[in-house]
Amino acid sequence: MDANSIISSLTGKFPEDIYDADIESDIRVIAKVKPENVVEVCRYLKEDLSFGHLCCEFGADYPDRNEIEVIYVIGSYDHPVVLTMKAILPRDAPEVESVVPVYWNANWYERETYELFGVKYLNHPNLKPLVLPQEMLGEWPLRKDYEGFPNKTARNLV
Amino acid sequence: MDETVGPSEMIVHLGPQHPMMPGPFRLNAKLRGETVVDSEVEMGWIHKGIEKILESKTYLQGITIVDRICYLAAMTNEEAYVGSVEKLAGIEVPERAQYIRVIMEELSRLQSHLLGMGEYASFVGFVSMFMYTIRDREDVMSLIDSVTGARVTHSFLRYGGVKDDLPDGFKDDVEYVFGNLKKAIDNYEELYSTDQIYKARTKGIGVLTADVAKDLGVSGPPLRATGVAFDIRKDEPYLVYKDLDFKVCTQTDGDVYARIQVRLDEMRESMYIIEQCLDQIPSGPIFPEDTPYGKRSPVMRVPAGEVFHRVEDPRGEMGFYMVSDGSDKPYRVKIRGPVYPTLQTLPPLIKGVTVADIVAIAGSMDTCTSEVDR
Amino acid sequence: MDEIEQTEVEQNDVIDVGYTDVPGTMLTDSNAICDFIKKTKVQDVLNWGRKNSLWFMVNAMGCCGVELLATGMAHYDTDRFGIIPRNSPRHADVLIISGYVTKKYLPALKRIWDQMPAPKWVICFGDCAISGGPFYESYSTHQNVDEVFPVDVFVPGCPPRCEALIQGFVELQKKIEAKKDKGTDY
Repeated sequence: MDANSIISSLTGKFPEDIYDADIESDIRVIAKVKPENVVEVCRYLKEDLSFGHLCCEFGADYPDRNEIEVIYVIGSYDHPVVLTMKAILPRDAPEVESVVPVYWNANWYERETYELFGVKYLNHPNLKPLVLPQEMLGEWPLRKDYEGFPNKTARNLV
Repeated sequence: MDETVGPSEMIVHLGPQHPMMPGPFRLNAKLRGETVVDSEVEMGWIHKGIEKILESKTYLQGITIVDRICYLAAMTNEEAYVGSVEKLAGIEVPERAQYIRVIMEELSRLQSHLLGMGEYASFVGFVSMFMYTIRDREDVMSLIDSVTGARVTHSFLRYGGVKDDLPDGFKDDVEYVFGNLKKAIDNYEELYSTDQIYKARTKGIGVLTADVAKDLGVSGPPLRATGVAFDIRKDEPYLVYKDLDFKVCTQTDGDVYARIQVRLDEMRESMYIIEQCLDQIPSGPIFPEDTPYGKRSPVMRVPAGEVFHRVEDPRGEMGFYMVSDGSDKPYRVKIRGPVYPTLQTLPPLIKGVTVADIVAIAGSMDTCTSEVDR
Repeated sequence: MDEIEQTEVEQNDVIDVGYTDVPGTMLTDSNAICDFIKKTKVQDVLNWGRKNSLWFMVNAMGCCGVELLATGMAHYDTDRFGIIPRNSPRHADVLIISGYVTKKYLPALKRIWDQMPAPKWVICFGDCAISGGPFYESYSTHQNVDEVFPVDVFVPGCPPRCEALIQGFVELQKKIEAKKDKGTDY
């Protein structure tokens, strides 16, 4: 299965949900997805296009566009193509459906994106902070306008 | 995990400081008698915010930070970071530098497997094995030290090349060390395969089947122990791996014993790769010619774009997703570590085993907590 | 998981456990005996014993933790100086802070320190523990660990070599011998 057939199969199945699909190289494919239908697209990718390996899932903050992107990087055990799929969310109320029912290991990725970016995942089995203490929830430290960075409390700065 | 405990049930907290833990994490296990019925992993005890720090560092400064993501595989972390910037900026690495990188990364894999295996052996009560592996690891460390000048965090790679060429007499040193190490690895294998108590503790424990492992997103030796030959060095070759002859080591059992066997075989393959590299390495420059790379303090601006570059870490698939906006600092860096999914599989894997087996299973996964937390 | 708060019991409450009526025992909450012993030659003998059996706590927290493990093991073999790695805080005399102390980990580290029996000492191993090191500007780490723990020896480096850790122990021995260490409550 090569990049061309993957793109045509994906856009053929979801003509309204997948847009800006592009082929970067033989093994890299990029596409954008409507956030409402992420789970169906992921299920199709896993079951029919053998994209069984979720490499990672994370957020990226774009304050000038007032958007937060949730990026899914999905690889495969059977073919070398890696798909980068982006769901674009509004920055003031980012909400997206959780893909844990499809990709089991998305659990921690989503918990981490939740506490670092404030992206709320609907129907997530256990949405609570992973790497930060509970009292830091709500600061969203990886957003670009976070004020606690750089931390200036070190006494003996050079 | 459900916090309510029924009759004859209790919740035991292992960690964050616990002899079993290679780094701080916490395992909350609910026990009924001596059997684990449910468990949960708590992370973040050493979360340092590397992804945020990288956004405020220039590309050259970033190399020293990514060293510290996982201290046992500093060289492969650097390769993933430097490789993704090179992909974005379109920098060609000269062949000699590529060979040096492969040599250093495989040495890094050797020392990581030696430490991980020894640590695991001490978890299952085989402390003398830890002494043996550390003894042999120090020889490998001195090889790395002689090239990079540092033992753990090297900062050795540069954009377009490497910091230094190999020192004189490196090949002889490698031959001497590997002569000892090959005998030592045979020795370990004999120790592991003849000890009845050890076999009773590890055979058939913590079995991960291929379908489940794929479903859980595991990569690296735990996946290869189930029979899936998934190796980035073969599937998506970077550097000169496509010119080298090596095989992907697999086992079929998927239990604790098989994972250790995979690591033993991989160490032999790593030594074979390094010997090939030292035979084939061409002479030439270690930086691309007629470019500013390798000169003092180049201020780099990387063209805008996004890239996902992945390499094979000692523990599995290591990837960097990098977003550049055309300035001298990365806009967003996501670190995809191999242990992150592997550690998630611990709760389903230890369900139904006894407490004594938790350490064997967790140790055989070779978890590096620093890389999960970042 | 709020059990960390429970351990922050005042030391005075612990002493008053109602053993005063046991015949032949005497309880005191003053350091009079220790202060007296300090002035005599007995303390020199005690310190000689203490400095030659510095058991340290294996608490690998970062890059320096790898060097910590390697120091205690076969090649560097610190056993010959009486410096032995121990896994339990109850057995240990020296707490080695071998990495970045995060906001989440600080309560646990304090608890480990409370569990160690006196006399006890702290070594800051590596730049992260001393001043934050490469992560000094992070949102998640706790800088200035020496305001929390009474640190005797700082070992700089990122990470320091194993020889540097042994040198740190030698410096600690010198301090104990000169009675200038601050970690101990006699």
